[in-house]
Amino acid sequence: MFILDDLLFRPFVGIIDALHTIALDELYDVRALEDELKENQLLYELGERDRAEYERRKEELEAELEIAREAHEQLSSGRVEVKT
Amino acid sequence: MSNRYVYGIVETGEPVEFDTEAVGGAETVYTISHRRYSAVVSDIEETEPEETDEDAQRHDEVLREIMTYGDGRTIIPMQFGMVFDNDRALKNVLRGAQPAFRRTLRDIEGKVELGLKVVREEDADVDEEALEEAVDDRLEAIAEGSVDNGLFSDRLVLNRSYLVDREDREAFDEAVADLEDSHDGLLFQYTGPFAPYSFVDIHIGAQ
Repeated sequence: MFILDDLLFRPFVGIIDALHTIALDELYDVRALEDELKENQLLYELGERDRAEYERRKEELEAELEIAREAHEQLSSGRVEVKT
Repeated sequence: MSNRYVYGIVETGEPVEFDTEAVGGAETVYTISHRRYSAVVSDIEETEPEETDEDAQRHDEVLREIMTYGDGRTIIPMQFGMVFDNDRALKNVLRGAQPAFRRTLRDIEGKVELGLKVVREEDADVDEEALEEAVDDRLEAIAEGSVDNGLFSDRLVLNRSYLVDREDREAFDEAVADLEDSHDGLLFQYTGPFAPYSFVDIHIGAQ
């Protein structure tokens, strides 16, 4: 009985974990934020974005990135629950 | 207490020492050697320096200065942020990683890294395949190697780093200029020379 429970339970945990990961990846897309940071830098270097706008955007993106990275860190330590 | 911030590794020879604006406000860059290899370092207070724009730029600048130091030195560049809190640990790395240093130096001896980003002007219609072909024809023939750095923006059409022998530098510059001349609607961002970061795969745990 215990063994059966265990077997049934495991895939279920797997799915929930996967759903958490997908939800978090969408909410906190580290890669997309990193790309945006690089794009911001590129447009500034090409002279298409002025310094003030570049710095404002950089600060904003870095703050978002920090939150995103923290969220992923907490997910991997199992302390985050995603409510939908 | 003062720690050592590492820029890269050179073959031990003439010691490197010069005054410059170094990472973390230091003013002198020098070498710490263990037999065949030397680390190019400056003193720093922190053990985990924050990568500010200014310090990232200083890191690059110092590497460039070493590349033109004396008759020009080949350096294995380290990524930003490597700090040792004692010289013995640093010398242990210089001893332990000798085979990796030897291989890497052989690959990058006398070479520099050049970066090329090709960006489409807003709303420009671009034949990406034709551009890529033209770039390959002209640049891959001269370069010793290249790596793709990824298209992180919709505006980017091409983003690569090239490893180029110093002697081929002029030919490479000309090829890039020709490509730029023959492609309207595209912006060419050509950068360098840098220490060949993209062609060095050495990661060292500093602690």
